[in-house]
Amino acid sequence: MTDSDRRQFLSQAGGTLAAFAFQPDLAARRGLAGRDEPLPVALVGAGRQGRAILGELQKLEGARVVAVCDVLAGRLRSGLRRAQGARGYEDHRKLLEELGDAVDSVIVATPTHLHREVVIDALEAGKNVYCEAPLAHTTEDARAIAAAARAAGGVFATGLQGRSNPVYQLARSFYRSGCVRDLASMRAQDFKKQSWRTPASNPADEAALNWRLDPAISPGLPGELGTQQFDVFHYYRGEYPVSVRGRGGVFVHRDGREVPDTVTCELGFADGTSLFWEACLGNSYQGRYELLSGSMAAIKLAWSHAWMFKEADAPTQGWEVYANRQTFHNDEGITLIADATQLASQGKLKEGVGLPHAPLHYALEDYLVAAAGGGEPACGAAEGLRATVVGLLAQRAVTSGEEQAIDPALFEIG
Amino acid sequence: MATRFELVLDGEDEGRLRAVGELALETIAECERTISPFLSASLIARVNARAGKGWVEVDADTFTLLETAQAVRRESLGAFDVTVAPVMEALGFRERATADLAAARGAVGGDALLLDRERSAVRFAREDLSLDVGGVGKGHALELAREVLCEHGIERALLHGGTSTVVALGAPPAAEAWSVALGPEPDAPLAHLRDAALSVSASHGRTVPATDGTAGRGHIVDPHTGRPLAGGIAAAVIDTDARRADARSTALCLARLPFCDPDRAPLAWARAVRVGGVPRWERAATAERGPNRIEHRDPRHQHRAQTA
Repeated sequence: MTDSDRRQFLSQAGGTLAAFAFQPDLAARRGLAGRDEPLPVALVGAGRQGRAILGELQKLEGARVVAVCDVLAGRLRSGLRRAQGARGYEDHRKLLEELGDAVDSVIVATPTHLHREVVIDALEAGKNVYCEAPLAHTTEDARAIAAAARAAGGVFATGLQGRSNPVYQLARSFYRSGCVRDLASMRAQDFKKQSWRTPASNPADEAALNWRLDPAISPGLPGELGTQQFDVFHYYRGEYPVSVRGRGGVFVHRDGREVPDTVTCELGFADGTSLFWEACLGNSYQGRYELLSGSMAAIKLAWSHAWMFKEADAPTQGWEVYANRQTFHNDEGITLIADATQLASQGKLKEGVGLPHAPLHYALEDYLVAAAGGGEPACGAAEGLRATVVGLLAQRAVTSGEEQAIDPALFEIG
Repeated sequence: MATRFELVLDGEDEGRLRAVGELALETIAECERTISPFLSASLIARVNARAGKGWVEVDADTFTLLETAQAVRRESLGAFDVTVAPVMEALGFRERATADLAAARGAVGGDALLLDRERSAVRFAREDLSLDVGGVGKGHALELAREVLCEHGIERALLHGGTSTVVALGAPPAAEAWSVALGPEPDAPLAHLRDAALSVSASHGRTVPATDGTAGRGHIVDPHTGRPLAGGIAAAVIDTDARRADARSTALCLARLPFCDPDRAPLAWARAVRVGGVPRWERAATAERGPNRIEHRDPRHQHRAQTA
């Protein structure tokens, strides 16, 4: 056996061991492709997120967009261009009434403060619902949504994408198996250079489109961005923070806005550990990631990629010797690859380093499989409510400058 | 694509211009995810995987892209062909280089690419067909970005992808048109653009190393022969549509297109042959209209005027 044969063999064997020990396989994921009829889906809200959803739905087998709804004509037109044959609506109630049983699932991607009405109308019409995160801009609305979802009894998913992300699921299995050992530090950030302003083609729509910059209804950076990342720590740890402190300001986009463009939060857990989270709309360095550091390893998650950085005294399990690695400054990370077994068997381990699809794709797929009768979605109403509450309290901590206690009673659906 | 896009927007409200620019760039990024031949999860990858077995529906924008590509294929008698993917792969322009160039060449054939406008759907009449829309991708992305800018009332802007495909909206203040040099040489021709698109293709652009020790292979490949175009040829096309300009400049590198129908001719075009490392641009009699034209600044080339 030559050297390269041996490396190849060990690489494949290593991939097999890793996958055997820790898990999944994209190929083994529940799929939609086997359905006789595509699941009829309606999208409400054809803004940036709505259009991204339509782009992903186009690639999913077994789902068909039959209707698109938006109150703004330009957005509706733009949405319909991405959904061949779909009907357009300006009013979601009319959509529900006219299409009746011709729609199975409603995907809600309206501005956050408008989720409640659309979600509850859809649930009352007997539809399965996927709602973008955060669930709402107030804890009251979030609880109302969660209560309605529970009462309706159909499938309800919250779009918290960490829970359905194959790489995050894989990395979580490492975390839960004790690879990190004693968790000492948690950090996360979402940095992007972006104004957070939405231009309106019609000046009359300017205020409605820029709801994220309206202090009365905006969940701010912690609510809109933090909720997704906070939930990753909830998902990994199986517990929720008990307090949150925060501060922020407008340091970059000094255009008269009041909603901070830069924010720092510290979320405290019952065991005394803290999650430090930062978001900034003025700089994009290192983008969005979460980091869990313990006595034996650190796991870094970056939505399409994940890495494990092992300490020198961490036990070696064998497989990682021949795993893919990437260097970050002075450190070398082992890339955690979903579907490692299959890729290794095909000699394509390198190609699987990043997820082929956007995390949104897997969240939608997970939901659609559940709606098609494939069980529970990865993130339901209860998880959605809890993450939303944490995000909104973090925003309150930033705007008030006061530490917020996170009362578990707020997590109860009622 | 996998290239840098830049926008210059002119107007009064800087904050609003930034927001519109962000939206346009997001649109370009979304376009890349949809049509990139490098991304296994792109819509084009999905079409390649499934259209040999049945109709695959695509969004309206992607359908327009494919329709434009097919129109230029017909016009150029196959000099431009988006079914050239197997050859590009065989030549090493994609991640996996396949060895069998002859087989790859046999798999090229835009006649087998079927488009159903009614259903906005694509089908391959042969299972071995595969699309690579790289030759028209930058133009497509810029057209989508232009739509965003127009929808938001931007009247003066210049956009480019990889410096080789350019879209102009209006003209700069106090000027008749945007002016873009066709090369770094001080006397390189100037393309003047107003509400028009420019594309420049050159055989000496992106290359991949040859495995036989010879010079690298240029990225313009003749779909008929499967051979990369020999070095030294360049072509520039000004057109009303950036997709068409993109496809036509590639085709023009490979073939002298007649453009005899004035209604379908580009607004302006020119070809160059590199002599001693310096491109010698040929003037072309074109349907130059309004401010959109190619201005030749090297007096040595003035006598080279020829009819198309």
